[in-house]
Amino acid sequence: MTNKNYFSSQVKLLNELGLHARPAAKLAQEAQKFSASIKLKYGQREVDAKSILDILTLAAPGGSTLTLCAKGEDASEAIAYLSQLFAQRFGEEK
Amino acid sequence: MARKVLSGIAVSVGIAIGKAFFLNRGSKASLPRMSITPGNVANEKERLLSAFDAALQELDEIRQKIPGELKEHAAIIESHLMILKDEKFKQGALKYIQEKMINAEWALEKSVADIGRAFSRIDDEYIRQRIQDVRLVADRVQDVLRGKTKGVGAISQRVILLAHDLSPADTIALQVDKIMAFATAMGGKTSHAGIMARSLQIPAVVGVENLEEDIEDGQLIILDGFHGRIIVGPTEEELAEFADLKYQFEAYQSLINKTCHLPAETIDGYQVQILANIELFEEVAAVIDHGGEGIGLYRTEYSYLNRDSLPSEEELFEEYHELAEIMYPRKVVIRTLDMGADKISNHFGSLEESNPALGLRAIRFCLKHKELFRAQLRAILRASVLGNISIMFPLISGLQELQEVKEFYSQVQEELRREKIPFNEHMPIGIMIEVPGSVLIADILAREVDFFSIGTNDLIQYSLGIDRTNKHVSYLYQPLHPAILRSIKHVVDAAHEAGIEVSLCGEVAADPFCVPILMGMQVDSLSLNPQAIPGIKRIIRQATMEECKQLLKQVIESDTVDYSNKLVREMIFNRFPEELMFYTSLIDE
Repeated sequence: MTNKNYFSSQVKLLNELGLHARPAAKLAQEAQKFSASIKLKYGQREVDAKSILDILTLAAPGGSTLTLCAKGEDASEAIAYLSQLFAQRFGEEK
Repeated sequence: MARKVLSGIAVSVGIAIGKAFFLNRGSKASLPRMSITPGNVANEKERLLSAFDAALQELDEIRQKIPGELKEHAAIIESHLMILKDEKFKQGALKYIQEKMINAEWALEKSVADIGRAFSRIDDEYIRQRIQDVRLVADRVQDVLRGKTKGVGAISQRVILLAHDLSPADTIALQVDKIMAFATAMGGKTSHAGIMARSLQIPAVVGVENLEEDIEDGQLIILDGFHGRIIVGPTEEELAEFADLKYQFEAYQSLINKTCHLPAETIDGYQVQILANIELFEEVAAVIDHGGEGIGLYRTEYSYLNRDSLPSEEELFEEYHELAEIMYPRKVVIRTLDMGADKISNHFGSLEESNPALGLRAIRFCLKHKELFRAQLRAILRASVLGNISIMFPLISGLQELQEVKEFYSQVQEELRREKIPFNEHMPIGIMIEVPGSVLIADILAREVDFFSIGTNDLIQYSLGIDRTNKHVSYLYQPLHPAILRSIKHVVDAAHEAGIEVSLCGEVAADPFCVPILMGMQVDSLSLNPQAIPGIKRIIRQATMEECKQLLKQVIESDTVDYSNKLVREMIFNRFPEELMFYTSLIDE
């Protein structure tokens, strides 16, 4: 399904401590603002990016590369916005 | 509501009549787990969803109240909010209601358990620990489901506080103006909660059977701190009877308070010093008001609890100095830190100790963590300049250990001399005798120190091999056990042989049934909780040394504890009948 409602992007996790509670909360919080369904993939696993518990169980370490996938009307905006969050370390200092 | 009487262990005397208020920390056992009928599934789902909503709203209100400078906290609350909003969490619980046909509370717990399993597979320890946040959030929802949304801070009228257990931190937060009395399901005769209740002067009962099951929030109860029971749904007659008893007790208290400032001297002229045990600086007023002639045991642990960092030397110095100043010229015996790593584990990492009571605690802990010990010794030494402070080391179990302590103490003194900081060069040094081993070598230890203080609570535990907070064996906590009486007598005699003073601090010193026997041993001072001083002084002032010695002689030669108890009860009954009415005793009835 390569239509304009499906987008994905690779993101690098810059937060030293990995996807711990604060970035995970932020990611879920922001993802919930979009109507598109959003998945986060790390290695073999794929979880719901709107669920903080799911994100935490990925336990992605700092420096790892993940994939964001979104499907739905605002999928393109979601990917653009959430990739930004990764690039800005979710507002954390390190 | 049907009338019921629940029995427990009386730890602080008095009567309270009022409404029950459960502290919001029920044990898991009290969580209702029920099957539901198919017709109730929709209802139960709705109940769960609205509980999530209510919890969310509550937490959001808390978040809004957090001032900007506390962003650190806001972040934690943000993640709790996200957990509450997590669909996986909610859907997991809803699914259990639907498929297993169980109530919302149970379904929620099952969902938490599922998440817990997923988290337990995470390698990153920090993230794995976040399951605790899930737990906290789930507790919040459970509270809404069970219609309880309150901690100690939420109490608005005077109530009788009920709880599964009260930790030292809980008891600190108790607001005495709002709590008439308290009762817990856990605990034994000499547990911490009891010590706190007596120092706050409120009646208390611990180890109450079926406390959480048989009492409902807001129900009218009578708490009887004399006999250790709670009457649920009392009759009119009982209400009148207990109101009268409460009145009589208050009248008796005011009577004994009138003579509490007189010396504790027997009719035949033997005088014993009456000192107080305290753990909070604020208790000083109670010591003076109740006729305490000094502080025989200042427990220094509180400054180390409930905080993120260790107290500084300066902070401790201020505390000890102020204490010495307020009490001056009365004496103040400061006991060095008497706790283990389990209480201040933030700083020292948790130890794997299968038996902390026999582990790295008190003096052993201090010798292992010399920097912490040095700061406290320096603070005590610096505060000693007024001349009324004595220093006391807990849990000494042998001569070499004592010498090591004294060696380190001299080093610290030397440092202060080099820094030209003044201190009392002749501050008396004492040790607690609370291990059976030290009892046996009391003559050897006596050559090394200026005084002994017999800590009977631990001595009884260690000598008889029982955990005093374990309600299944606390009946074996027998102060009149011949082994205990012989131990105390041995230590007193060894001290006097060596020409040093001996004090006795422990629950027995505040027990009117035990005091005549202790008097008979000719201890130099008794150290007890301030509130018990007036009653104990009154007994001593009405007794004769002759009868105390006579009683001791009979009791120490008695074959059984039962017989000893009988002898003591007879004496009290004949000589001090009103004490029987108003006092609880460590001696079993």
